[in-house]
Amino acid sequence: MTFSSETNRLISAKHFLGAMSIVFCLAGQTIASPKVKPVYDTTVTSTQQQAIEFIDKVKELKPSVYWPNIKPSLFLQNLKKNIYQPISVYPGNGTNFCGFGALTYLLLQDDPLGYARLLLQLYHEGNATFGNTSFTPSQAIKKQAGLLRFKGILDINPAEQMWYLCLADHFKGYLNIFNRKYDPGDEDRFWASVNYAKFNRMIRSLLHYKTSARGADLIRPRVGDLSQYISKKLKTSIVVLFINNRITHKKNHIDLQLGVPTHFIIAEKISNENDLVTLVYWDYGHKTQLQFPPAFLKRIIFGITSCTKTKTDAN
Amino acid sequence: MPTNTTKAILFSGIVIFILSCSPKNISTKYYYQHEKVLTKIEDTYKKIYPENPFTVAFTDRNFKTVLLEIITDTLTYIYEFNLDEQSMTDTLNKFKFNTPKVVELIRQMQSIRCTWVNKFDYYVDEKKHTLTFLSIKPVALKPLFSYHKYYILTYFPQPQYFDSTGQLLDKRRLGRLRKINGEIFKRINDKVCYTISGNFR
Repeated sequence: MTFSSETNRLISAKHFLGAMSIVFCLAGQTIASPKVKPVYDTTVTSTQQQAIEFIDKVKELKPSVYWPNIKPSLFLQNLKKNIYQPISVYPGNGTNFCGFGALTYLLLQDDPLGYARLLLQLYHEGNATFGNTSFTPSQAIKKQAGLLRFKGILDINPAEQMWYLCLADHFKGYLNIFNRKYDPGDEDRFWASVNYAKFNRMIRSLLHYKTSARGADLIRPRVGDLSQYISKKLKTSIVVLFINNRITHKKNHIDLQLGVPTHFIIAEKISNENDLVTLVYWDYGHKTQLQFPPAFLKRIIFGITSCTKTKTDAN
Repeated sequence: MPTNTTKAILFSGIVIFILSCSPKNISTKYYYQHEKVLTKIEDTYKKIYPENPFTVAFTDRNFKTVLLEIITDTLTYIYEFNLDEQSMTDTLNKFKFNTPKVVELIRQMQSIRCTWVNKFDYYVDEKKHTLTFLSIKPVALKPLFSYHKYYILTYFPQPQYFDSTGQLLDKRRLGRLRKINGEIFKRINDKVCYTISGNFR
């Protein structure tokens, strides 16, 4: 979820009040409970090597009748790059796809072969089923995939464009109440926003992890020492942090920043030495190291989701 | 009671006053008034960047706090320093920067209230191009009640296409406007464009 300045201007007071009242209703949730049947106990997962062997056999794709604006060679190139280098996943400059980007990064580590098969099925058949989730993208999405522009390298990554549009089209949360149907440009607006509960729901629907979530959209997690808690979780799990990115990446000099989370990142490493926290995380195609005082960490974190693998990968 | 003529003169005066303070008017002048130093910043940055990719931002209103993003093959390191802090030069040395040049760049930026310098990738016909992005926070730019307060400049490596009103186009053939960082840009010359924005990045 990224509340861009444009989005802020576009949202009407009525919509804002409506959304905020729902936020307050949901904000009390501090430990998320699964509302969808998780897939982790029903399916085996795969390795990167299996995905590479599978995708390397695909030498060429024919144009898809379902995705008229996707160039087959770029689609295949994008798919291969993501499998070989999951770190390169880039949900686009200025879009609200960051939650979907984080989910894709997790999926590529959890079940890369499943990811490759799913995207190829979507490409060839126009719809696909993965675990308990059936994707039936709308015509507007099918027409738009491949046409997103001015989003950095996402411009030439049609497989990611298709996938993020499908995810946003399928999964809905309260932030999407007033913009449920895709119109061009909606990738930058509330149509593509992801609230914390929706993010956790997507993980449980698509990935084979056992998850535990602490925090909420407006209330920070109460877990004691945050860096210690995250560090402990990182020993056994992949940890997703839901943070207020407006503080970590200041875009203007306004002192009073709205205290809401705006961004999903994958924590890689965290330490606290001499009252200085060092956090290494993945987002937007690369890893970043950030240093700050412990109080700053408390200000930015709103959600901590731990994803623990319960199944070994298939041989 | 004021006559209709008096009212008309008063109204015209207010309109002229407001327009004279408008961002558009300030932007057209700003580039040419500061062209020398702006070109120097762009040039210095362009020379240092290929060996050590990095960005510089001023994150406080007083232009004393510098945010450095140092981009390596494996990690992007984000550091925040006070301008006169020894640890800033130590860090630059550690990453094998041409430290005097970077410090000079930062001083140049501070002198004209330049808030951010960065490289920005964009794609034309599936080919990657890179432009330099400068944000400035001029004192006089913000008219009363205005949301927009940053003057953004983009330096392209080659001449660009513009429509009849001077707006930057994606391609001449399609006539579609090119957006950079979500903003529409206007022509200053063939390679340099500007916009006014609420955010410096």
